Amino acid sequence: MSQGISRRSFLKGSAAAAAGLAASRAPLPQAAQAASGRELCTLLDLSKCVGCEECVDACREQWQATVPDPVKPIPKPFPERVPIQDWSGRKDVQDRLTPYNFLYLEHLDFEYKGESRELHIPRRCMHCLNPPCTNLCPFGAGRVEANGVVHIDPDICLGGAKCKKVCPWHIPQRQSGVGIYLDLMPSFAGNGTMFKCHRCLPLVEKGEQPRCVEVCPEGVQSIGPRAEMVARAVALAKEMARKDGAPAGAYRDYIYGLEENGGTGTLYVSPIPFTVVSKAIDQEHRRLAQEASQGKGRNQGAGGRRRVTGQRGRPHMHRVGDSMASAENLSLALVVAPLAGVAAGFLKLFGGRGSSGGDEGGSL
Amino acid sequence: MIGGPTRPGGRLVAWLYGLALVAAVFSGMGQMPILKRYYVSDLPLMGWSADFYILSDLHYLSVSLLLALYAWRLSLGTRLGRVSWSWGPRSWWGWLLLAVLLVTGAVKVLRNLGVFFSPSLLVVVDLCHLGAAMAFMVTGLVVLIGGRRRAETI
Repeated sequence: MSQGISRRSFLKGSAAAAAGLAASRAPLPQAAQAASGRELCTLLDLSKCVGCEECVDACREQWQATVPDPVKPIPKPFPERVPIQDWSGRKDVQDRLTPYNFLYLEHLDFEYKGESRELHIPRRCMHCLNPPCTNLCPFGAGRVEANGVVHIDPDICLGGAKCKKVCPWHIPQRQSGVGIYLDLMPSFAGNGTMFKCHRCLPLVEKGEQPRCVEVCPEGVQSIGPRAEMVARAVALAKEMARKDGAPAGAYRDYIYGLEENGGTGTLYVSPIPFTVVSKAIDQEHRRLAQEASQGKGRNQGAGGRRRVTGQRGRPHMHRVGDSMASAENLSLALVVAPLAGVAAGFLKLFGGRGSSGGDEGGSL
Repeated sequence: MIGGPTRPGGRLVAWLYGLALVAAVFSGMGQMPILKRYYVSDLPLMGWSADFYILSDLHYLSVSLLLALYAWRLSLGTRLGRVSWSWGPRSWWGWLLLAVLLVTGAVKVLRNLGVFFSPSLLVVVDLCHLGAAMAFMVTGLVVLIGGRRRAETI
């Protein structure tokens, strides 16, 4: 990572300085505190994953029952084009993300360097460091905890699915017919509640590990402070790049999540470059979409599990830029604008013609 | 000062203010997922309004312009004596709403920069920002319908 001062760190530093200045005059809310490396991060060593889906089963056992069943009939949203999304009759689906399934495994078979290769990738929320899903939620339903967990408060969420739209991986999934919107104007505002991985927040708060980490028989996942996990991920990626015959500087292609969307709390390290893995995922998703369009509907997935076709609910692994970069840049405009306004005012007051006190009767 | 009240900026600034205010309210309200749902994004030349990132950028830019105008006005207002402003709030209620929007908006900007705040505090901040914006919008509509005299009383 760059050792220089990035735009973001400059803006954050300015913000912290401004906050410090304000604090010297008036006490800031105690709840306000700068992120200081307390975020936990998971590291997934994909070379170890055998695709047994123990993690998926454990996640489902622990959390599926916490997602409520919808009222029936589910209120018809207005206008008609707003879709009702009801997964309550398909709780068995576990080869994609659904409101009742926070984690799935992407099973890949593809050729690499003339050899047939197999890769299994646990997919769930990436828990971004600066997540657009929570930043842009207009109701505060998206929450980022001090330990880095990004989650959705089901007591506030109205199911507008904005979080899904702004998420680079479209992770949150909607269940219609549940949540607070039913008590408001169910036909005209909201459409359910969004659900996604909360990295076992209730367990982590008690000092326990997330279930997917805990039950993995191969030790694919580990969790710890992000700085520590990043160091381990980089070392592992360098080793994998070396084994793969890649130049030393190419190790970044063996890590995913380090810089994606400005950095995430989930780091994948793969023995195969992610440029290749990403293409294999896209190919698999295209194949599934093709099957769906041909009307085959369902087929059998890995391990004999039923597989629902279709791309949705199955995130890509493309390289992702920082979604909040534009907002970060424009923050500078918010700081400069009032200064410019004051400067213009002073110019008018003390500079030449302006000293007469402005224009009469509304003229320029 | 001799004569009638001064009107710094004249019509141009009043129009700029109006445009910035409309853009800020539209892009702010558009942060709720309603524009696509209710066909606003389907209107000719409005397709961009389905993109929350574009709306967010527009909100930042329009609010920047508003901040510049308010700062300019405040820097002049204390020194120019009798000033008749043809734009902006005309009562303590309007300024109070603006103050709430400013404080809550600042917290949201810091949050977007990655500064950590308690999630519970942010719920309050988000709802206050939304509530104040709606109150400001309703007040503005009442002023538009009721005229300036009405505006002096709210």
